[in-house]
Amino acid sequence: MNKAGVCSGRELREMFEAATTWLEKSVPEIDAMNVFPVPDGDTGTNMLLTLRATLEEAYRAPDHSATGVAQAMTHGALMGARGNSGVILSQIFRGLAQGLHDSESFGGSEFALALSKGSDAAYKALTHPVEGTILTVIKEASRAAYAASLQNDDLEFILQTAVEAARDSVANTPSLLPVLREAGVVDAGGQGLYTILDGMLHYVKGDLERMEYLQPHIVASRELLQTNLPTLSAEDEEPYGYCTEFLIEGEELNLDKIRKRLKGKGQCLIVVGDEHLIHIHIHTLDPGAVLKYGSSQGILHGIKIDNMDDQHKEFRRSSQGKVSTAPIAVVTVASGKGITEVFRSLGAEVVPGGQTMNPSAVELLEVVERVPQDEVILLPNNKNIVPTAQQALGLTSKKVRVVATETVPQGIAALFALRYDDDLESNVSAMAEAISMITTVEVTRAVRTTQIGGVKVRKKQPIGLVDGRLAVAGDTTSQALQDVLRGMDLEGKEVLTIYYGNGIKETEAEEVTEQIRQSYPYLQVELVFGGQPHYHYVVAVE
Amino acid sequence: MSQESRVRVVTDSVSDIPPDIAKELGITIMPLYVRFGTEVYRDGVDLTTDEFYHKLIKSTTLPTTAAPSPGEFTQLYDELAEETDEILSIYLSSNYSATYEIALRGKEQMKHKDCRVEVIDSREAIMGLGLLVIEAAKAAKAGASLDELVTAVRAMIPKVHVCMCFDTLEYLRRGGRIGRAQSILGSILRVNPIVGIKDGETVPIGRERNRSKAIERLYRFASEFSSVSTEEKVVSLAVEHASTPEEAGRLVERLKPLFPSVPIYISRVGTVVGTHVGPHVIAVTVLEA
Repeated sequence: MNKAGVCSGRELREMFEAATTWLEKSVPEIDAMNVFPVPDGDTGTNMLLTLRATLEEAYRAPDHSATGVAQAMTHGALMGARGNSGVILSQIFRGLAQGLHDSESFGGSEFALALSKGSDAAYKALTHPVEGTILTVIKEASRAAYAASLQNDDLEFILQTAVEAARDSVANTPSLLPVLREAGVVDAGGQGLYTILDGMLHYVKGDLERMEYLQPHIVASRELLQTNLPTLSAEDEEPYGYCTEFLIEGEELNLDKIRKRLKGKGQCLIVVGDEHLIHIHIHTLDPGAVLKYGSSQGILHGIKIDNMDDQHKEFRRSSQGKVSTAPIAVVTVASGKGITEVFRSLGAEVVPGGQTMNPSAVELLEVVERVPQDEVILLPNNKNIVPTAQQALGLTSKKVRVVATETVPQGIAALFALRYDDDLESNVSAMAEAISMITTVEVTRAVRTTQIGGVKVRKKQPIGLVDGRLAVAGDTTSQALQDVLRGMDLEGKEVLTIYYGNGIKETEAEEVTEQIRQSYPYLQVELVFGGQPHYHYVVAVE
Repeated sequence: MSQESRVRVVTDSVSDIPPDIAKELGITIMPLYVRFGTEVYRDGVDLTTDEFYHKLIKSTTLPTTAAPSPGEFTQLYDELAEETDEILSIYLSSNYSATYEIALRGKEQMKHKDCRVEVIDSREAIMGLGLLVIEAAKAAKAGASLDELVTAVRAMIPKVHVCMCFDTLEYLRRGGRIGRAQSILGSILRVNPIVGIKDGETVPIGRERNRSKAIERLYRFASEFSSVSTEEKVVSLAVEHASTPEEAGRLVERLKPLFPSVPIYISRVGTVVGTHVGPHVIAVTVLEA
């Protein structure tokens, strides 16, 4: 670059080459912070690939004028743009090319102007520009650059100002875009743009060598990471009104005048276009007044009015589902840390209770009332709790059905049968059918010395039960488990899930599971910590 | 051949339309991109499906996907505009990808202003999109006008039903495309999730304890559309798989007697969707009449 701070086309290219190298260094970090609009972790990669395509074309420019190179870059960016951030970046190049029209070289103020054009083009490219993204960053950086250019024409000074403004703007993105705040990150596209501008600045400063061993700065979020507090209800907030969009076609339309007139009529106003065609976007409580004004200016086209309060309710309804999106809630009774976790992981609400501690109807009712869904299925998982669950039915205005599961495996099988896209009654019958397909094996200790169905048991001897009926008595719990399975017809069965209880060591459970696996190689045998009291093993055979 | 059709039909590679059918019906397919690190491949063009799944299993870096650029759409539309002045393009749900938005932008920059281009967000993916496009292409070949096609496609969108089963939702979760189906994640037990596509996004349908039960669920899902007079009820069906052709074949054989006069397309889940669903997905799609 010459002393006057004037940049030729060749230097423009080299400047972006430096920016590309700089960006490349932080691609993994930028990818990792990508949560908006789709959290797919590729913003950095997309921007890098877009820049590479841009540069490739820059080398094919017909001449070395700043305009020639900028136009070639625009073409390259447009053809090579990848992803949302890439497309926005390509619009920025487009603006740059427009701002530099017909110049062999450019200085600071031309660059500031080009940045503003780029910002405008980027905003115009989107039907719904969202603040707190790369858009806000280009806007604030270009504004700062423009203000600086009024003081001093030096490119380095102007770029330095733009970089600082971009950094502040990136840090501020989480306060503008809630999804960033929730994730505790800054906007990935904004960070990418800041890195690109910063890379350019390094080039202008003649810092190329230092760039090799330095790392680009990753901007930290100014907002504290928001923990998962319950989302506040928007019910009391003021209404959003109507999202109103239309085009005005006319002669000598005055953008500024129209913008000024509509400003007081609502929020999120966007007025873009030229004197022949203007695109209006506004959130207003009175779309009629906006359209009336619009029609006084020209012919209206593409009128679109959406009730945003409906959309917001829709959004809340769907985001409520983050806890459980099923239209039907399942409330179940279980004890044991592991079993409770299994039920929760499958989306059920768990009321503590079981064999020796039956929950009351009121305890069940409390949970039924607490879940957001209006339709609830109750799974008691114990014969003694079924009547209590039936009793709870009469105490609520919600539509509640009891599927009379008598064991934990039955409860889990019922939960697996839940179809998210089916209604309550079909689900109840599907669950009842699922229960009939499952056999429950339990290993516990006899409470007294007795003889049932030809099986003699001593008090405290390990015994095996099949669906509640005494089947075997053994010397050890492991032996009782193996004996009870041996006596069963496992033909046509596919999955065996063994939940080991409180009194059983993990190694012991693993040992017996391994033996079972070897005895029944065709079965899918899974061992899960149940942590249930009283029962050493509870096994689901399906 | 396709020269007879006045309206040209365009879709993207996520439609999973088998190449021979696309060729026969004159459907133009715009490839999306799949990347492993900075290696970039065009979906179904630079990397065969088999090579992709092999790479997906072997590679330590997970691939990512990207939509084509606006310029690529402009170029494609302008090329087609040399032969026709009406183009119907139908793309995958805008909830999954920016393809639809970018196609709109590409359309704006066309040189051939005299060529009318309609761009439709199908709210679907895989053969849910594919079956729509196949029907549109058949109608276009039979001489339907662009307006008729747009109306017909919009009317068909609510009648497409997709049901997929997975070994894991991990790929979908990592790719950020899980939508409301995230509620069936995180189970302690081994689970084969069953999901569908509704209103443009992935929704949970249910889960099964093993793969054979999950495939049984797909069979039941399709069989519910079968009736005595199946011809009136169902237009077409599709069964598609990522890397398990025998399994898909067996499912098709079981479905045939239920739908004796309905075409059942067998297809392969392409690389872009494969990136998000993993190598063991199997899906059934039904297009109701």
